[in-house]
Amino acid sequence: MSRKIVLPGDLLATNPRAAGYGTYIEDGKVYSKILGLFDKSDTGVRVIPLKGKYSPSPGDMLVGIVREATSNGWAIDIHSHYQAFLPLSENPEFKPNRKINDVLDIGDAVITKVLSIDPRLKVTLTMRDKVCRPVRFGRIVAINPARVPRVIGKKGSMIKTLKSELGIQILVGQNGLIWLSGDSSRVSIAEGAIYKIEEEAHTEGLTDRIIEYIKKEKEK
Amino acid sequence: MSDEMNDEMQLIVDGKRLDGRKFDELREVKIETGVLKRADGSCYLEMGNNKMIAAVYGPREAFPRHMQDPSRAIIRYRYSMAPFSVDERKRPGPDRRSVEISKVSREAFELVVMKELYPRSGIDIFVEVLQADAGTRAACINAASVALVDAGIAMKGIVTSVAIAKVNGEIVLDPFKEEDNYGEADMPFAFVIRDGEIKSIGLLQMDGKLSYDEIRKGLEMAKKGAMEIYRLQREAIIRKYSLEEVE
Amino acid sequence: MGEDILSDIKRDYVLSKLGEDERVDGRKLDEYRNIEIETGIISKAEGSALVRIGNTQVVVGVKMQPGEPYPDTPDTGIIITNAELVPLASPTFEPGPPDENSIELARVVDRGIRESEAIDLKKLVIDEGKVWIIFIDIHALDDDGNLMDASSLGAISALLTTTVPAEKFDTGDNYPLPVRDLPVSITSLVADGKILIDPSRDEMSIGHRLITITSDQKDNIVSIQKSGSYHLTEEKFYELIEISLTKSKEIRDMLGKI
Repeated sequence: MSRKIVLPGDLLATNPRAAGYGTYIEDGKVYSKILGLFDKSDTGVRVIPLKGKYSPSPGDMLVGIVREATSNGWAIDIHSHYQAFLPLSENPEFKPNRKINDVLDIGDAVITKVLSIDPRLKVTLTMRDKVCRPVRFGRIVAINPARVPRVIGKKGSMIKTLKSELGIQILVGQNGLIWLSGDSSRVSIAEGAIYKIEEEAHTEGLTDRIIEYIKKEKEK
Repeated sequence: MSDEMNDEMQLIVDGKRLDGRKFDELREVKIETGVLKRADGSCYLEMGNNKMIAAVYGPREAFPRHMQDPSRAIIRYRYSMAPFSVDERKRPGPDRRSVEISKVSREAFELVVMKELYPRSGIDIFVEVLQADAGTRAACINAASVALVDAGIAMKGIVTSVAIAKVNGEIVLDPFKEEDNYGEADMPFAFVIRDGEIKSIGLLQMDGKLSYDEIRKGLEMAKKGAMEIYRLQREAIIRKYSLEEVE
Repeated sequence: MGEDILSDIKRDYVLSKLGEDERVDGRKLDEYRNIEIETGIISKAEGSALVRIGNTQVVVGVKMQPGEPYPDTPDTGIIITNAELVPLASPTFEPGPPDENSIELARVVDRGIRESEAIDLKKLVIDEGKVWIIFIDIHALDDDGNLMDASSLGAISALLTTTVPAEKFDTGDNYPLPVRDLPVSITSLVADGKILIDPSRDEMSIGHRLITITSDQKDNIVSIQKSGSYHLTEEKFYELIEISLTKSKEIRDMLGKI
């Protein structure tokens, strides 16, 4: 199944109400604004990006790193051109008697969620989700954000494979940062497997080859 | 450029150009995208004997900080010629010509890049001329355009550039070195192309001597040439990404 | 270039006037401001001119000295054009090496002189391996818009009054620099489908959307520079050439009187 590749400026629809992700409207027409795959459905048209940096949407789970601790919260690097901020009020771990740096310090990694994005494209994060937490152990791996869906696999199949074959914890941030935790040699195998998925995302029978790769690496 | 030497220099023989091309014929154009690992987007392009490589970095945090614009991205464009790209070694670093080319090229890209989507960021476009054979600013713009698409940058269209020249009284497309050196005029264009149609002129320069009618003729020729290059730019991108997407 | 808040504030006024085909200083769309040219104002220079276009002021000085020709053109003299947007001319000009705007300014002026073949460079050979080098230095004093045309006018006016300083360098008698054409540049602001000739600083608040078209005595276009990030349509481009050719004649008549 192949979808048509579209380029910036390609006309996608003549009905502005059809405009979805990756499009812009001018003179009542809908054009692609990015390189991507053209996706047309009953509800409208959108472009699935093939390349590019991560663009946050509310509800996305991310892995980020604390860059700055201020009196009203933390600036978090989310591996994107967007600036993200975690306010004190969105971190349940913060209590008035605690020092800000003791709750989260510069360099700490966090699993966090996008709460909102303001018109100036400043991202507000929240820790109010059971998955969200600071991670002070484990390893973080960075991949091209456009490859995240491949690493997760259909209905999470790829990630389940990695977890069950290796017995480690994995959390894939939508921003292309992946947190791995467990036995360090197993984590290394997972890291290698993730790079392999990123590299060979377009080839067939990937899941089988990944299982094989893991087996071979475990035997070493 | 304009010099009494023009009269002595035969650049058109029996209705053909010295390299055998017709007046409205482009040089051979080769485009390959995604050629650099570190850059967010890249492109290698040949246009006749020109060889250039473009890299796009960004959107990323703009530096220095005071340069940041809270409402949009800052675009930088750096046209640069490698010291070995020309017959006589060129002193490294930007000269006045490169500064001017970088300025007008950047202005063309500012027309299409949706800067307001990337507040406080920088988008850097670096183009290196590895081998120069006239028309380098146009070839660099064409490479940069593909690299921007490859980087996944949001844009309203594609920029495509080509020059025309006047040699021995004839208007010709895409001049090569001798025509550029001894011709009577040179006029580079960059067009904004959207959905396969030329929307406007984004870059326009000219030096030499042209009459009003010659300018009209040149623009018509340039538009046709640009559409051909645009098709090759598209092809190069689609070729790369359709390889990746077969499942 | 930094933002100039005063002209920024003017934008709405300029645009609303423009909606009625009017300009803030009362000019018609195709009306040039008053031009004044004074020549010979710097006695140390071989040629000089002060040009005023409205409140915009530019001084151009020409210095000449013997030197070696470029190896590929041994039988022609050399022109070197430089522009300095000195900080006294505008709150947005910064001290320091030439930025892209002053480089562009100098190169566009240079192309007008060079491509019109206004100076017969062949006549500037002194001896074998020795030619005259003409330095054209542009000094902006007050930027109230359209430094480009003021600089071009200043350059050609200064050249028209230049004396080749042969005696100073023991190469014969002084003689007037041979000038055989009068290139004139016309800069316009392309705004909202309208063309404003010779834009003032206030009008520039609409945006840096300029085009400079330079022509010679025979109505050849010798240089074009689109400057600024804006969409130029083909129709507007042709219209601009026609306007520029018409306007340049009026200004050339002034130069003829120098």
